[in-house]
Amino acid sequence: MTRVTIPIGPQHPLLKEPLSFMLTAEGERVVDSVLRLGYVHRGIERLAEERSWVQNVHLLERVCGICSHIHTTTYCQGVEALLELEVPPRAQMIRTLMCELERIHSHLLWLGVLAENVGFTTIFMYSWRDREMVLDIMEDLSGGRIAHAVNIIGGVRIDPDAEQLDSIRRGLDKLQQQVDTLLDVVQHERSLRVRTQHVGRTTKELVRRHCVVGPVARAVGIDEDIRRDAPYAAYDRLSFKVITESGGDVWATALVRVRETSESLSLCHQILDQLDPGDVATRAGRRVPAGEVVSRAEAPRGEVIYYIRSAGTDKPARLKIRTPTLPALSLLGEQLRDIKLADVPVVLSGVDLCIACADR
Amino acid sequence: MDTQAILDALNDACPDHTFDAQAIPIDETVIEVPVICLKRVVACLGSGFSISHLSTITGQDTGTELELLYHFWSKGGLTLRVVLPYDDARIDSLTAVIPGADFYERELAEMLGVRLEGHPRSGLTEAEGFEHFLLPEDWRPGRPPLRKKQPPKENES
Amino acid sequence: MLNRLVQWARRRSPWVLHYNSGGCNGCDIEILDLLTPRYDVERLGILKEASPRHADILLCTGPVTRQSRDRLRRIYEQMPAPKWVVAVGTCATSGGVFRGSYNMLGGIDQVIPVDLYIPGCPPRPEVIIEGLARLLATIDVPEDKPPRDAAEPPAEQLKSVAADEGEASDDGD
Ligand code: SF4
Repeated sequence: MTRVTIPIGPQHPLLKEPLSFMLTAEGERVVDSVLRLGYVHRGIERLAEERSWVQNVHLLERVCGICSHIHTTTYCQGVEALLELEVPPRAQMIRTLMCELERIHSHLLWLGVLAENVGFTTIFMYSWRDREMVLDIMEDLSGGRIAHAVNIIGGVRIDPDAEQLDSIRRGLDKLQQQVDTLLDVVQHERSLRVRTQHVGRTTKELVRRHCVVGPVARAVGIDEDIRRDAPYAAYDRLSFKVITESGGDVWATALVRVRETSESLSLCHQILDQLDPGDVATRAGRRVPAGEVVSRAEAPRGEVIYYIRSAGTDKPARLKIRTPTLPALSLLGEQLRDIKLADVPVVLSGVDLCIACADR
Repeated sequence: MDTQAILDALNDACPDHTFDAQAIPIDETVIEVPVICLKRVVACLGSGFSISHLSTITGQDTGTELELLYHFWSKGGLTLRVVLPYDDARIDSLTAVIPGADFYERELAEMLGVRLEGHPRSGLTEAEGFEHFLLPEDWRPGRPPLRKKQPPKENES
Repeated sequence: MLNRLVQWARRRSPWVLHYNSGGCNGCDIEILDLLTPRYDVERLGILKEASPRHADILLCTGPVTRQSRDRLRRIYEQMPAPKWVVAVGTCATSGGVFRGSYNMLGGIDQVIPVDLYIPGCPPRPEVIIEGLARLLATIDVPEDKPPRDAAEPPAEQLKSVAADEGEASDDGD
């Protein structure tokens, strides 16, 4: 059979971000794919070496617009470790609260994109409508819908009062109903299931070989979550389940993400109930003592790692960012082999790519 | 993770070097590894302790030499530190053992100018099979932006 | 007569194309948000298009990385005249937080002419709608605005377009 090469991207209706693919197809079957990154490469790692420790918080918030808070969390907790700062418990709790709200926001956004890509526009609209509720809560807390600027080195910038906490509780309750509906749809709606079950299937072995993390790994039954395995912020004081599935297909990743959303809602409630009184930040110096640190945190898409080295000046000497999308892209090369052309969009959305994160 | 057991096993695997562990925040164990031992060490970690989840590779220019940090994860962080001199920046590729290392190694070659022996697509010149990974198509090879002595702005013609 | 009809349609129902030239996604999800129930710009006649050949307005985000420069230029060339370009977000207007990086041109207007800037990092959806409304308000008289192609392009741009056609351009602009 003759082979055709199909270029996809960087501007393509399928992708909301620029990424470019060369798919080689034999008839209806995709046999190979070549990936080209770099359309969103902003040289952040190098830029960070030219900015001060404080300025970097704002730069790193813009590594990715979807999981902005987790980047600053990972960075700040790394710098705090270098400074040997004690972050007040209330600040840790608020950080965690934002992390979980962000997870809800990211997963709902993802569900919408998946639904759109399988042609189920109703769910796209529903989940993005429900996402607005989380954005409202985050805006109420921090003043920003997407960029929150909550973290500072040494703690957080915001200090919600009792009234705000109450209104968040009300918002969360409303959201819980919506998430239950969405879970019901994902579990039982036949058309969604037909389009996603057995599509983009991976195995435990492949996932391990490509060192993939996050919901994609949990969807093949790898029980790993940094929040539980190496608790940061306030996670050691909260209880939650790590959600796993065994299917390894797009449907399984959808189930993992929607059930994680529910889990996050319960985490938010726990945080609101246990929120300690007290300060929200400790003062941090301008210079950071020489040393190095590896900081890990669980973003909505998996583990984020920062390696930070200080030479004792007011700027980092090296700052390395690894985001979960990079290993996922490595796996994607395998997933895009021997599948139908029509399944490509579904497989792509199944891994929840964030190209801005991968390119940095 | 049992650090002492790992050190013992590594000392057995590469008898001409004594391995030592160091702790850095946040709960990360760092073991310094000579360039020639890297492959053996990784094989030993994989077979003896099933540590084969490579989180990422950090490459950095410390101002006096190049340093590669292989961050592994297995219910705890383990980092292998490999030091390379400027004039002989080459190291064995791990992609054949850990396919997940592919992207990180290409990034090293492109961003730091490290030669990865045995990696199919990460030569340093076009003749060696250099492929752009993150940098733009018109970026001439041989000017890695993360080397401190080479201000990246120079690449702009 | 036909002309007036076209003009009316253009103003009442502009088709927009979205391209991310290297931003952080923040602006992009806010633009996508415009389509969803809370903001729903379709009720205002604004339709999001997938192909540059059908679009009137290019909503462009990001500080323009060197890799996406040529792509942005090509998309702009593929759009039929008259066409308008809106730079959404601080980094699209000036480079924003990423200013000074080695891989950055620092704003959409370094590559193609921009008609409207919407700063904000990211701007709220309301602001984007407001911006579009203001842009549309300037569209009404057909003779007023010559098609973009006929207008005198800046000399620098001419040069780079020419270089583009002669295959890979190596000018850093
Ligand atoms: S303006 Fe800000 S939010 Fe928008 S793409 Fe640029 S950095 Fe991201």
